[in-house]
Amino acid sequence: MDILPQLIANSLIAGSIYAMVALGFNLIFSTAKFFDIGYGALAAVGAYTVFYLAKVHNFPTLVGVIAGVVVAGILGFVIEKFVYKKLRGRKASNTVMLIASLGVFTALQAVIAIFFTSQFQTLPSDLFGRGVFHIGGGVVTSVQIAIFVLALIIMSVLAWFLYKTMFGKAIRAISDDEEVARIVGIDTEKVIGRVFFIGSAIAGLAGILVGFDTGITPTMGFSLLLKGVIAAIVGGVGNVFGGVMGALLLGTVENFGIWYISGEWKDAIAFTLLIIFLIFRPQGIFNRK
Amino acid sequence: MEYLVHLGILITIYAILAISLDLVVGYTGLLSVTHAAFFGVGAYTTAILATSFEVNFFFTVLVSIALTALVGLLIGLVLSRFNDDYFALASFGFNVIVYSIFLNWQSLTRGPLGIPGIDKPSLFGFHFNSNSEFLLLSLVFLVAIYYTSHFITSSSFGRVIRAIRDDEEALQVFGYRTTYFKLTVFVIGAGMAAVAGSLFASYITFIDPSSFTLFESVFILSIIILGGLSNHRGALLGAVILILLPEILRFVGFPTDIAAQMRQVVYGLLLVVLMLYRPQGLLGRYRL
Repeated sequence: MDILPQLIANSLIAGSIYAMVALGFNLIFSTAKFFDIGYGALAAVGAYTVFYLAKVHNFPTLVGVIAGVVVAGILGFVIEKFVYKKLRGRKASNTVMLIASLGVFTALQAVIAIFFTSQFQTLPSDLFGRGVFHIGGGVVTSVQIAIFVLALIIMSVLAWFLYKTMFGKAIRAISDDEEVARIVGIDTEKVIGRVFFIGSAIAGLAGILVGFDTGITPTMGFSLLLKGVIAAIVGGVGNVFGGVMGALLLGTVENFGIWYISGEWKDAIAFTLLIIFLIFRPQGIFNRK
Repeated sequence: MEYLVHLGILITIYAILAISLDLVVGYTGLLSVTHAAFFGVGAYTTAILATSFEVNFFFTVLVSIALTALVGLLIGLVLSRFNDDYFALASFGFNVIVYSIFLNWQSLTRGPLGIPGIDKPSLFGFHFNSNSEFLLLSLVFLVAIYYTSHFITSSSFGRVIRAIRDDEEALQVFGYRTTYFKLTVFVIGAGMAAVAGSLFASYITFIDPSSFTLFESVFILSIIILGGLSNHRGALLGAVILILLPEILRFVGFPTDIAAQMRQVVYGLLLVVLMLYRPQGLLGRYRL
């Protein structure tokens, strides 16, 4: 096991997870236009759905995964209907939306902890097996390969979706200018509702995959969310594919950083990267303005 | 009785935090979510000075105000480049970074082990050992902070920061260096939070990083949002309600660890409901 290939492999895997979170986050941000903190808790909701179905009730793991993704998506959709949509109707400022989503996040996370305790848990490992592969001197597990492949699939599907379908065009129209989109006859509320479903489902999947890789706790959504947000900002907020580049950069900086310093500083390294970007290139890598 | 005094002390400490954060969020309109970091720097300064160097509490308060104000100045200098959401997000970041330092700079803070055995305050041979004596002391500090903030906000300086909050561009047109004003308020807020930190360290006599997480910042923020922004009395009211609320939950008969989570649920839902139906809080004079 060499250090350099291993660091590169770890960076790619971390980057794939962050990319998924950032993709969903950016999708929501580009239409609803606020920092949705509550989004982080949905990753934990997805992972705990799998835990509940597959471990407590012995359903096949695959059923649990599908249910987890759907439950996260539906919950995201419901929260948007009952909280954010109403706030938008009242012309609430971004700050108000941010605080409301902070409330959603705090409450959801605590509800999970009440039902499942705040102990560390593991998910069943039968879906991807426990294989270990040696690739170019680095060691990766089969779960990590699944993470990488699924991230690639989601990126490609989302790209096709955004650029080749009518619905994707509607999303991009809203992200350019919501008012004009409404004038040309796009039902913006409906589109935003669906975007929340898709984005939240992606968050759920990311949470589930992290759960397979490293286990689950009710607070897992928080660091995932922060990494996703940082990746999104570094790449250029609202720019759906900038987020992917930001995620890869963040994964790389983090993994090389902890090799030089030490593992406990991971979060601090991530935020230092964010603050450096906010100071010197607040529009992110890709945005022009 | 002892229990009520204990709650009283907690309320005064959080009221100090709330009043100081209100200067930044309510009066100046900067959504800062990093107050627990300043609370922590103040607490650690007192803890380290009191245990390693046996410095008198009242002297450590002065040092921790100065040190925390300095940290506030450095953080504020970076934050002054941002507005609105990005300000909030970057301040999030500083809370996480400062927390990591508490956790990982083990030679100074003993990391997750925390610092035990912090002395209770004493002045001219009088020791504030019992809780009721401590309550008296913390009330004196609260009154001092309350009137200092009142003085600040009712002075011409206070009018300028409120005007910046309402229309920063207009103030710039009139030739005010708005950045300096915002930075000054931020540093004052940090210094006041340090007082709460010193009191907290000396009252509990043990501190560890877990008291200064991002969630603590969110909690302080929910105090002033519930009480009402831009109003000192609102901050006091918010602190009383949010400290007493979880105690009521405990009396209802939830087990301790579930009660702790119920608290989070209540705080979270409270934020959502307030944003939906009363974004200015109970006594607020300013809407976000």
